[in-house]
Amino acid sequence: MTLAPGALAARAHPFTPLVVTAAIAVAALAVPGPGPALALYALTLVLVVTTGTGQAALRALVPLAPLWFFLFLLHGVLGEGGRVTVEGISLSRDGLALATTQAARLGAIATASLAMYAGFSPSRFVDAVAEREWSFSVAYLVVATLLALPRFRARAAVILEAQRSRGLRLRGSPLSRIRALGPITFPLLLGALAEVDERGFALETRCAAGSARRTALAPPLDTTADRLVRWLAAGAGMAAVAWRVVG
Amino acid sequence: MTALAFDEAGFTYPGAAAPALAQCTFAAEAGAITWLTGPLGAGTSTALLLAAGLAPRHTGGHRSGAVRTLGVDPAEPGAPAILGGRVALVLSSPAAQLSGIAETVAQEVAFAPANLGWPRERIHSAVDRAMEALGIAHLAARDPSTLSGGEMQRVVLAAMLVLRPALWLLDEPTSALDSAGRALLHDILRSEAARGAAVVVASEDADGLYAVADRLVVLSGGCAVLDGAPQDLLRGDAVWDAGVGSTTIGTLARVAGVDAPRPLTVDEGVARWTR
Repeated sequence: MTLAPGALAARAHPFTPLVVTAAIAVAALAVPGPGPALALYALTLVLVVTTGTGQAALRALVPLAPLWFFLFLLHGVLGEGGRVTVEGISLSRDGLALATTQAARLGAIATASLAMYAGFSPSRFVDAVAEREWSFSVAYLVVATLLALPRFRARAAVILEAQRSRGLRLRGSPLSRIRALGPITFPLLLGALAEVDERGFALETRCAAGSARRTALAPPLDTTADRLVRWLAAGAGMAAVAWRVVG
Repeated sequence: MTALAFDEAGFTYPGAAAPALAQCTFAAEAGAITWLTGPLGAGTSTALLLAAGLAPRHTGGHRSGAVRTLGVDPAEPGAPAILGGRVALVLSSPAAQLSGIAETVAQEVAFAPANLGWPRERIHSAVDRAMEALGIAHLAARDPSTLSGGEMQRVVLAAMLVLRPALWLLDEPTSALDSAGRALLHDILRSEAARGAAVVVASEDADGLYAVADRLVVLSGGCAVLDGAPQDLLRGDAVWDAGVGSTTIGTLARVAGVDAPRPLTVDEGVARWTR
């Protein structure tokens, strides 16, 4: 997903979306009942749209839709307790409330996470960490983990094409499809393992594990607004937990 | 001055029945290009990993004998701090040598200087110079992971050149390069040697290196069996006995039954056969 250069998510300090996402995740798990959960999901949608990562909300629907369906089926249709009939279908009142709460929680977490991922800039994050003189190793692990998935996917696509050109058939019975997984999975994993070794060599010779304080190449601006948003998000997350504990 | 010295050095990988290097003795001088070659499994790559200190630190295994890299035993715990930024290692697969976190080529080249804590201005000017030298300045804003193999290898070379290392260790550095890239790399290695750096290249590219390297060290069975000027060794039979070939023209001459010393280039071949 490409962000517009002027998008708020592209301009924000790298720690701000991380803190906001963490706060949304904590709040989502803490808020009780369908009403607050739906409100949090709605707030998350407003946030991602206003920060220029609205596409994340749509992308989140891909994994969310089947989950929502099963939540509705499991709790709403098969749930116990008082029943209510909607369009001729008998539904559990409590189950429906639980399904709505869980669905909204998942929606908020998935949407916020994808929005954070969409606006994440590895180099700005590393520079922000370097600017604070925090551990580069930890920053590297965070960034490498976030970037691993698209690179793994790209490598899988190359292996898939190579194996297809060598006669691998991906169509047919479920059994033949399962058999086709081997020639794709094994080269993918073995290649990744071999690359880990060489990358380890390269990182050491390029002084990644050195004791010097890393230079931030272009330190991101940490504005008052960024700091305020982070404090507010952290405070809101803690308030949600307190609400859960006290309420 | 000796930049790299192997004295009866041996190395066995974990679980391996036979050593990859055994009583290997050779040296590489500052200001010179030393070309390491040998048949498959001769131990050239292992020698470079030992010199960089990555074996046995990263690979595991057991080392014997002595290795001195820029005057330091690279296996010592404090060696990475001393050798960091002074030893450049270039491997044959460029994709695996990218940092994995840079979004642009310029950031990739700046990775090591930033890790060393250089001031920003120094980093920017050094990165610009290195990219210019490798002919990749126009790629500065590109995502390194989207480059071709040859472009990526140039980025990796620039990421090492930026450090102006005292010792270059290159393992098949031309495998992803086209002929222009190979010529450029040879020019850079010559200028690095002229600057005073020691350059050690492990390669089978006899046509490319016979005229560039100052010394040829042939490994066989993990042991240095020949050591001399490439122009001399490649003309004779000893390199063939060690399982290593010569240049294309040298090979042609041998197949044609020409006795040693054999020609190594087209011009020499023409002169020899029209004599």
